[in-house]
Amino acid sequence: MTGVRLARVALALGSAFAFVLLGSALAQAASTELAGGNGWSLPPDASVDGWRIDWLLKVTMFFVVVLFVIMTIWIALACLRYGKGHTAEYDHGDGKKQVTFALGLSAVIFFVVDGNLFVNSTWDTHTAFWDFDRAEKHPNRVRIEINARQWAWDVRYAGPDGTFNTEDDIVTLNDVRVPVDAPVLIQITATDVLHSIYLPHMRQKIDAVPGTVNRLWFQAKQTGRFEIACAQHCGMAHYKMAGVLTVLSKEEYTAWAANASANSMQAYDPKDKAAHWGWSWNEDRPGLDKSAAAEAASKAAPSPEHGATPAAHGEHK
Amino acid sequence: MDLQAIHAVPSSFIRRWIFSTDHKVIAKQFLFTGLFFILYGGVLAMLIRWQWAHPGQEVPIIGNLLFSRSGGVIGPAAYNTIFTTHGLIMIFWAITPILIGCFGNLTIPLMIGARDMAFPLLNMLSYWTFFVSGVMVLASFGVELGSAGAGWTTYPPLATNVGMPGTGQTLMVLAIFTTGSATIMGGVNYITTVIRLRAPGMTYMRMPLTVWAQWLTAILNVLFVPVLAAGAILLTLDRNFGTDFFVAGALGKGDPILFQHLFWIFGHPEVYILILPAWGIVSDLLSFFSRKPAYWYKGTVYAMTAVTILSAVVYGHHMFTTGMNPLLGQSFMLLTLIISVPAELLFLNWLHTIWKGSIRLTAPMVCALGMVFVFGLGGLTGIFLATISTDIYLHDTMFVVGHFHLTMAAASFLGSIAGIYFWFPKMFGRQLHEGMARWHGWISTLLITIVFTGQMIAGWAGHQRRLFDPYQYKFLEHLLPLNRGTSYFAFLLGAVQLVFVYNLISSILRGKKAEKNPWQVGTLEWEIDSPPPNYNYDPIPVVVRGPHEYANPEALSHLGRDWLSQTEPLEPKELPKAAGADS
Repeated sequence: MTGVRLARVALALGSAFAFVLLGSALAQAASTELAGGNGWSLPPDASVDGWRIDWLLKVTMFFVVVLFVIMTIWIALACLRYGKGHTAEYDHGDGKKQVTFALGLSAVIFFVVDGNLFVNSTWDTHTAFWDFDRAEKHPNRVRIEINARQWAWDVRYAGPDGTFNTEDDIVTLNDVRVPVDAPVLIQITATDVLHSIYLPHMRQKIDAVPGTVNRLWFQAKQTGRFEIACAQHCGMAHYKMAGVLTVLSKEEYTAWAANASANSMQAYDPKDKAAHWGWSWNEDRPGLDKSAAAEAASKAAPSPEHGATPAAHGEHK
Repeated sequence: MDLQAIHAVPSSFIRRWIFSTDHKVIAKQFLFTGLFFILYGGVLAMLIRWQWAHPGQEVPIIGNLLFSRSGGVIGPAAYNTIFTTHGLIMIFWAITPILIGCFGNLTIPLMIGARDMAFPLLNMLSYWTFFVSGVMVLASFGVELGSAGAGWTTYPPLATNVGMPGTGQTLMVLAIFTTGSATIMGGVNYITTVIRLRAPGMTYMRMPLTVWAQWLTAILNVLFVPVLAAGAILLTLDRNFGTDFFVAGALGKGDPILFQHLFWIFGHPEVYILILPAWGIVSDLLSFFSRKPAYWYKGTVYAMTAVTILSAVVYGHHMFTTGMNPLLGQSFMLLTLIISVPAELLFLNWLHTIWKGSIRLTAPMVCALGMVFVFGLGGLTGIFLATISTDIYLHDTMFVVGHFHLTMAAASFLGSIAGIYFWFPKMFGRQLHEGMARWHGWISTLLITIVFTGQMIAGWAGHQRRLFDPYQYKFLEHLLPLNRGTSYFAFLLGAVQLVFVYNLISSILRGKKAEKNPWQVGTLEWEIDSPPPNYNYDPIPVVVRGPHEYANPEALSHLGRDWLSQTEPLEPKELPKAAGADS
């Protein structure tokens, strides 16, 4: 066989091989979906709204695979059928029909695939992920403030009085406990560098930015222990900035919260300014709230400038 | 005064080969420097893959040399530096000099029929400025606390002295500024040359797509690299002069997100800067080696122009998780989805170009087809990241890394190799070993696809980026076999590149002499010697048609071949009416 023919056969075989490899990889991923999360599939979804993202990911991946397969076959077929022996067609492709077809095909792919993404994302963000009002209004909602720092997550609950930065606040390290079937609202900032709180099993992520308070919310649909990860490069120990998200039943959560709050009150030290890093909960104020964040940051840092400021003790909502 | 006077070849070695103003020499300088850094960046990549395949284990062979203080094992700080410098080096010191420094310099004057760039001295300055920036990069590895380690995106506050004290990070930021200056110099040169020095008859719509792409790339460079420069200056002020533009929280009143805006206003056009030249080269090569006109040439020009314009207004998709105003986010989502349409269009044009052609699977063609394949896959995966809801999950995972490696690393890389294989005879007057080159292109394409798909699969499973030891997270433990497999294919991919290096060096030194037009292609540079004389053309050619006149039935019947050069008149009526026409 001549070099060129050999190359053509290799190309065809290789395309087929690559396709099979990729196809099997995707099939692996798809099949282990059902097995609930090992293999190469998405992590098990423990949230009420995560299915929206999963659905959109899978449907789009289906379109992508179809287009990819068509492209691969097209290239392989062209190489096999239209080799040196074939006389090339003298076609500049700028005839009216051809241009219309090209534009039309692009438009169809755009409206179907991209359109599907746009519509669903917009719907999902507006009716779920960004619908903080609905989450806030729920009677059992839990509010949590998180301060991300190198390399841990400080977590604060308002405690029975419902106000942050008071004696009865529950403050934990890397330990978020929430009740199942209730919205959990998280407001988050950072004190040193950028971090990003990533809850893979709740399909949620938001950056923790010094000087700003960001927020997310989710609702767990099953109990269990899940992981909290950092998704923004933050230095040396970024790779082990892990936390634990524990979803408890309503009773277990209530019991834990009461116990933890009581412990907090016992351990409360009014002179430990740095420990009072919480801020008054940002309500109905979408986007940045620098004053609250600055408040938080100034308390967290024991610098001489800010040390004299009394903690915002017993602040009212 | 003739803008393009013919001057003698410089007599001294230094003026001829070191401080040369000849665009062809400068192109080679960029090429070799770029190839050096691509090897350097490649070794860094192998180290990343080693750490993910065998975390905490001694790196074989070179471990004790590189990481003597930790017994040959990569530590977390070293790892952070490795992935940071891998990204920075590959983007600014490998792909940019090869695709833009080398191929821009080489192809623009030759393909438009000019004797040199509009500003030859500025051209020389741009290479040596770039060279200095390369020295700064290498120097940054030798300082205490090592080189940069805040990710290639260099986000503050981590990239300020809050997170990364030390000279290494500062040197790197200044190196970025320096190479940016070189890029702007080059951009000004390329833009002016295309506008002013096209040969008579070379209208814009008769320029090869390679030149169109280089021209659009230069426009993007000139517009947006200054924004990066601004960000770099402000960051340096924060690092070394006590300002707090980007430092916030307890330590300042700045806004770290401001940097991200500045960075990505540059950063998104940058990724189009890195792919446009490859698009241009491949658009031409597919036509040349299908022996068929480039399908809907004007459509490709419009598509590349649309991408250029839109690239400025999509950058926010890198920042969907920063907590930006939802309306802003949605605008960026819509625009990013829209920018996929012109890209789709030129992709379709590629597919139509090869269909019903007469395909010659030469080395450049294998690489061009490989580029089409990997770009198709990579481009398709971008839409997941353009969409806010899916991006909530996929942001900062390996899915992003797989996506941009397939589009940038794979497509730009294969485009560069295609360009090298194609123009090698013209540049060096010798032929490469064709069989070796073809196999290199083919195997690289296959391995590239496997490696970067492996990354995307990891990302789909939730695997974040930039993790020294991913398996500290329980939900990622089961991905060790996937990462290990990907790494082994990556090592293989790296090893295969040595074939390319061997082919290149041995052919430069003792390859068979090349003829004027080994590929039987009609663009202007193939009518002159290989390599061309220092003045390129004498006289300046007169252009009578576009660059993709293949399979023209009149050429077949009158001349007995399937191609026409851009200058040969087919019949007397083909000659242009007035020579020297500018358009």
